[in-house]
Amino acid sequence: MTEPAATPSAPGDPQRAVATRRTNPVAAHPITSLAIGVLVTAAILGTLIVPIYARETPYVGDFPFFYFYLLIYMPATALVLWIAMLLQRRLAPRQPAGPGTAGTAGDPVSGGVR
Amino acid sequence: MSNVNAVVFTIVVILFVFVAVIGFAASRWRRADDMLHLNEWGLAGRGFGTFIGWFLLGGDLYTAYTFIAVPALVFASGSIGFFAVSYTIMVFPIAFIFLPRLWSICRVHNYVTPADFIRGRYGSRGLSLATAFTGILSLMPYIALQLVGIQAVLTVMGVEADSTNKYVQDIPLFVAFVVLAIYTYVSGLRAPAAISFVKDTLIYVFVIVAVFYIPTRLGGWSHIFGTAQTHMAAINPVTKKPNGTFIPTSKSIGSTQLDFATLALGSALALFIYPHTITGALATKRRDVVKRNMALLPAYSVLLACIALFGYMALTDKTTAAEVKKAGNTQLAVPYLLQHMFPSWFTGIAFAAIIIGALVPAAIMAIAAANLFTRNIFKDFFKPDASPRLETRVSQWASLVVKFGALAFAVWLPHTFAINLQLLGGVWILQIFPMLVAGLFTRWFHRWALVIGWAAGMIYGTIAAYNVHSPTSSHWASSSDIVFGHTVYIGLTALVINVVLSVVLTVVFKAVKAPEGADETLPHQYTADAVDAPAPEPAGVGAAASD
Repeated sequence: MTEPAATPSAPGDPQRAVATRRTNPVAAHPITSLAIGVLVTAAILGTLIVPIYARETPYVGDFPFFYFYLLIYMPATALVLWIAMLLQRRLAPRQPAGPGTAGTAGDPVSGGVR
Repeated sequence: MSNVNAVVFTIVVILFVFVAVIGFAASRWRRADDMLHLNEWGLAGRGFGTFIGWFLLGGDLYTAYTFIAVPALVFASGSIGFFAVSYTIMVFPIAFIFLPRLWSICRVHNYVTPADFIRGRYGSRGLSLATAFTGILSLMPYIALQLVGIQAVLTVMGVEADSTNKYVQDIPLFVAFVVLAIYTYVSGLRAPAAISFVKDTLIYVFVIVAVFYIPTRLGGWSHIFGTAQTHMAAINPVTKKPNGTFIPTSKSIGSTQLDFATLALGSALALFIYPHTITGALATKRRDVVKRNMALLPAYSVLLACIALFGYMALTDKTTAAEVKKAGNTQLAVPYLLQHMFPSWFTGIAFAAIIIGALVPAAIMAIAAANLFTRNIFKDFFKPDASPRLETRVSQWASLVVKFGALAFAVWLPHTFAINLQLLGGVWILQIFPMLVAGLFTRWFHRWALVIGWAAGMIYGTIAAYNVHSPTSSHWASSSDIVFGHTVYIGLTALVINVVLSVVLTVVFKAVKAPEGADETLPHQYTADAVDAPAPEPAGVGAAASD
């Protein structure tokens, strides 16, 4: 398991961090926010829309496609959510256990509109 | 107790005793100064990190229902049982959207139950009571189902006493349950949290071994899938229809794709609003821990997919299939399969894994139901000035009452009944989705509209589920119903009715300026982290509440 602090999503320069905290994080990072939204939505739709994978063929090894797809989809979801989480941290440039930095940064998926 | 295998029995007893010792010792784990506080007994100090949180939530979400009922459904009906796999995938992105907000607001205001939040948000004790009532109602049969899972294992082990007397027969179940009830009473949430380490380790070991070993005994995966496909396509002499579906179909007659998708979506929406999963989530120490676990918990769903495939393996093994048919109870498919495929010592480990796997969620569910009773019924309506100490005492006793209520369910009612009630539990709990999840994002909805929507959903869901019949049973036959010519999960239909009513009536109540109720939460609190809300203090809930 990667320790998330060591990822490229480390905070930018402090000035920008302050600015972000004061403005809406979604408006400040439209592309990152959109990416998170798309990732999470795609993760849900990829298994909700059954016709995508309700097929017997092609077989993968001995597994009919339907069963193979469901098996592979789980690690994929895990990966997608991990990426989404790292992206969210980029919107909220604050270390999770970091001391002192009060004030709250939102995230577009779970922190957007009220 | 005539045909008990001594090795299996010994191993199960040793592991059970081991777990019981851990359960009692857990009261000293991360010991707090004052254990008589609901944050301690009911949420284990709200201090779990990613690692323990993962074990606790994993142990909490994947219940005996998963290990017994899902493969039983696959065994009986084929691919529709895999909705559970789809659902446990979908649940994490969905929870990722709202669970961190719920965690934050509960942390800031020191809410212990989802109903605490509802009361604070809408300033309505009535709405909070509806939530608490729904929560307890849905949890009871869920706990009973854990017992049904244990019973399935005990039946195959042959440890039901040789007697026609129901009470004598179920003595082993009573013993297991009394021990569970006592250590939950003593250690609170710390007990299932500590035990979940044992549970998860045993489950991982047995499932991984089984999924690689059993196919080699049964002629490989291609043979397993082939047998399943043939069996599902064969015409059942009783119903004159195919036994099941191997791949969800979209044919106009007997379509199962929509059924599959709505069951998965409905269950996924329901899972993280069940009070016991919220209890598990609130016991973590940082907002980030919740998010990280949404990305890490799908590892468990891989296990679930393997477990679901056990249903096909049981179908392929002729001895197992014949025994299940003879017993007339598909719940026995997995226990029989394990018994036939493994040497006694490993069967013992696998059986112990399932039994312990049922005890962990049963304990957390009892704690969650007890907290709901204490905070949102006892304190709100009978003793508003209850001290934290008294709250904890009441919760401890309530957890005992809940457990024995569930035991009564499992022993007195026919097993299919507990399973149907569990399906109904899902339908019921979904009805708090609008007030809880919408409430995390907006205060637009009017509290009275939400109550009416909730009531309509509950009534429709219950009646619709009661009326579903099949060639083999006249009521409670399934959790899906036919709406406008499509087979759809009842819970989702009821939720739609609930939401539509809530929206329409909110517009009406706003137009006539009905009193809105006070909101004690602030927008920024929904994204707050532990640093913003440091020490959980014994504050009261919903001081501003009135109605």
